[in-house]
Amino acid sequence: MQILVVLMLGVLTVRLYVLQVVRGERYAEIAENQRRRRLPIPAPRGIIFDREGKVLVDSRPIYNVILSREDVKGKDLHALIEPLAEGLMVEAEMLKERFDLVKSMPAFESIPVKQDASAGDIAWVEAHTLEFPELRVEQQPQRRYPANGSLAHVLGYVGEISPEQLKQQASKDQGLKPGDIIGLSGIEQIYDDYLRGTDGYREVLVDSRGRIQAEIEIVDPIPGRDLVTTIDLDLQNSAEEQLANSATKRGVLIAMDPNNGEILALASYPTFDPNLFSQRITTKEGRAEYHALLNDPQTPLLNRAVQARYPPGSTWKIPMAIAGLQQNAITLEHSNLVCGGGITIGNKFTRCMGNHGSPDVKAAITHSCDGYFYRLGLKMGIDGIVSMVDEFDFNKRTGIDLPNEVVSFTPSREFKRRMQPRDPEWRDIDTVYASFGQVYDIITPISLLRSIAGISQGGNMYIPHVLKEVKSIGSPDTANYKALVAFQPLDQSRPNPKIIPIPKDIHEKVVDGMWSVVNAGGTGARIRMEGFDIAGKTGTAQVVGLGKDTGKNKDHSWFVTYAPAFKPEIAMVGLIENSGFGGHHAAPAIRGVYDVYYRKTRHQEPPGALPKPQIAKRETPNKTKPATAATAQQPALVSNQ
Amino acid sequence: MVAIIHKRSWRDFDWILALLAIAIVLFGTMQIRNAQPTEAYWAKQLIGLAIGLVAMLAIAFTDYRKLLQFAPAFYVFGIILLIIVLIPGVGLKINGQRAWIKVQGIGQFQPSEFVKVTTAMMLARYFGKQRVQALALKEMVVGGLILGLPIALILLEPDAGSVLTYLPILAVVLFLSGIKLRLVIASAAIAVVMIPAAYVVGVKTGMVKGYQQERINVIWEPEKADRRGIGYHTWQSILTVGEGGLFGSRSSVEHSQSGLKFLPEPHTDFIFAVTAENSGFVGCVLVLLAYMVLLSRLITGARRASDRPGMLFIMAFVGGLTFQIFINIGMALGISPVIGVPLPLMSAGLASLIATFIAIGFAISVQLRRFVN
Repeated sequence: MQILVVLMLGVLTVRLYVLQVVRGERYAEIAENQRRRRLPIPAPRGIIFDREGKVLVDSRPIYNVILSREDVKGKDLHALIEPLAEGLMVEAEMLKERFDLVKSMPAFESIPVKQDASAGDIAWVEAHTLEFPELRVEQQPQRRYPANGSLAHVLGYVGEISPEQLKQQASKDQGLKPGDIIGLSGIEQIYDDYLRGTDGYREVLVDSRGRIQAEIEIVDPIPGRDLVTTIDLDLQNSAEEQLANSATKRGVLIAMDPNNGEILALASYPTFDPNLFSQRITTKEGRAEYHALLNDPQTPLLNRAVQARYPPGSTWKIPMAIAGLQQNAITLEHSNLVCGGGITIGNKFTRCMGNHGSPDVKAAITHSCDGYFYRLGLKMGIDGIVSMVDEFDFNKRTGIDLPNEVVSFTPSREFKRRMQPRDPEWRDIDTVYASFGQVYDIITPISLLRSIAGISQGGNMYIPHVLKEVKSIGSPDTANYKALVAFQPLDQSRPNPKIIPIPKDIHEKVVDGMWSVVNAGGTGARIRMEGFDIAGKTGTAQVVGLGKDTGKNKDHSWFVTYAPAFKPEIAMVGLIENSGFGGHHAAPAIRGVYDVYYRKTRHQEPPGALPKPQIAKRETPNKTKPATAATAQQPALVSNQ
Repeated sequence: MVAIIHKRSWRDFDWILALLAIAIVLFGTMQIRNAQPTEAYWAKQLIGLAIGLVAMLAIAFTDYRKLLQFAPAFYVFGIILLIIVLIPGVGLKINGQRAWIKVQGIGQFQPSEFVKVTTAMMLARYFGKQRVQALALKEMVVGGLILGLPIALILLEPDAGSVLTYLPILAVVLFLSGIKLRLVIASAAIAVVMIPAAYVVGVKTGMVKGYQQERINVIWEPEKADRRGIGYHTWQSILTVGEGGLFGSRSSVEHSQSGLKFLPEPHTDFIFAVTAENSGFVGCVLVLLAYMVLLSRLITGARRASDRPGMLFIMAFVGGLTFQIFINIGMALGISPVIGVPLPLMSAGLASLIATFIAIGFAISVQLRRFVN
């Protein structure tokens, strides 16, 4: 019996030795880890300001009711659905959906039950700690965007990092983890590194139910840095208002400082509410809303300024005129070409909307003579047009600091081969089409604006951008001081500005034409402002290949402009989709923005009298009937890629 | 006369046994306090010690042979208690087991702990006659019945853990009463061969369910077992023990495994894990040594007993005690399955504590009368 006792106690001693002496340290470490927990303290995201210091986006603290993931391990969450749905007034179905989703997800820190909880919800949670010890209230800063969708395409939005993004090396290098909020679009995305900051944490001791018993360490978050944009909120609001009140409520209006490329306003319509992505996307309703946006034929998510391409119509004539003079296809002394009411190539007649006799280049711009530019295009040849495209960077991205900018489609022999494999030869008729902004010219509004702004400057083409500066943080001479960062071209290899050698006299000639468009009875005469020299060019882009519904698919109305004509301060491009003549829709919309600009900078009421309507009738839209084979295979004009 | 007896009694009194038991209880009380610093379990334990000591002295100075004469009465009384505890309203239901009787003033107590003593007395009395030949079948059956009755009632509570601690009592009594040796060897051999074989066959044929395998696996490889489900108790206990290291954990009582409630039932079933965390390997070995000396003293007492019933009672007590210590500590160390068995003299619980002291008192009474014929 005694032997048995000694034997048993001996076995226990050996086991004790193994557990405590041999493996003791390891077990102590495991035990230590299970009682320590790191609770992230989210870094406040930087505020985004307009150029005058008005807040465009900031964050406000909200309270979320969450389930601590550690505490619900192995528990059946479905038992919680009913009491939680009732107590916190959330939909039972939504909770069920979320709990089901959680099962298939990697172990996250917490499961959201109710976002943006009210004081009543928080009180309810506190009153029920005994029944539901796993419930917690967590503070989280939430991004607040203007609910009407103002600036949505510029600001973009934030949202939870996706599993695909998490797998990328860049995300790993930055220490991003599931549940982190990052910029997903707009400057929120482009300047996410500046805006995001670094999360801090609270290391605490918890008991087996996850209740905090003591605090071990607090590491404060490093707040994100504030951004100052180049946006002028007054101009922006005016641009949005003009689009919202336009005939089709679809279009784009961009204003830029031609002296440095700063975007003063960038409006794309229709727009959307970015709060959907930062707040509601996790709910069922939010997802339905998102799908509705994705399938909306009006493509509100599309930033038309940089992600859509349109035929520029007659606005194309400005770079054509510059290049024609540069290439000596015409000269300043002898720039007259026959209008002829159109042109016949082979057996095909392509008409002009009037008969302008034999205008010089200035008159051809002023009255938007298609016949003139058909002949100019033929004189330049396709190679001349290609070199113009190259000169004005139409075949490149502008480099604007907004995501997913697309490259314009520009005329070239390769482009025709691709478009029409059955008739790959470049013909004179193609040159005619390419010379007045149709068929082979399908460009983004931002690249058109950049060229016009460059021409206004006599050839200095800046990179358009919306970031003015990233504010400095901390005080100098301290370790965490970060200096102010001004805008840097994202593509460092680009010259900024790109200087196009436009001789002074050529520049003056074309500017004279553009001035006359508005101020000397041209196609934009109705927006003339006494004492404020607006230079511009109307454009009416034929909508081809969009079916036979001419009611819905009317021409796009364009207006490109800058002012004052001889000392440029502001350049703009406006486009109203499917509304009609450029002088009728886009130009008045831009005039509305000019009024706001004038009031702001001249501190007086703009001279307002709009020209009489009949003058506008001189507008000559590029109504042509190009080869149907070419149009049928036209890429979608409004491309959302 | 009385004075003489008393003088001799004090001289023959097994001081080592009694003081060792008290020391273990006091050390255990410290650990109970470590385990549940905010609760009054440790204070209750001291009250239990006081009651236990009074009971021990009272029984030690009573002639155990007289007590044995009344064994059937005690036995029946115990059975009645086990029946009463089953009555809803009288018996208290905790964690699904109706095993406690509420008593005004001291709280609740567990009759199955006391019945262990009365059953051991009954068995000692029944098998205590002078014997010349091996056990007859009839005797084994009667012994089985004496044990079976309380076991059946306890199973109704249901408290399988307590039932297990009854089995070694009968086993020891049968063994010492000359059960045929070949029967013991045969059953031992069969067990050694058949249990693993049956397990392997069971796993292969699917008779042993997944969760049952899991329970066994927890013992073999606690780190690979489901640490949040079935292996949670074992795994947390192992961590707690491991954290103790050589000399005990450095973390404060509030932030220990038990203080943060990672270790379940720290003041009762897992009191040894708490001890291990706080006093380390050194402290644990001392505790084991203390138990070994205590058991040795009891066995010595049984050898010196003047008659068979006295010897049988002590040995039955030793058997039960050894088994319970091994199962409980084994559980804390992850080498035996999790069964709700208290660690004698250390786990918080008045009934277990007092019953143990009653049994010690009985053993001392047997010793005191070793020269008296």
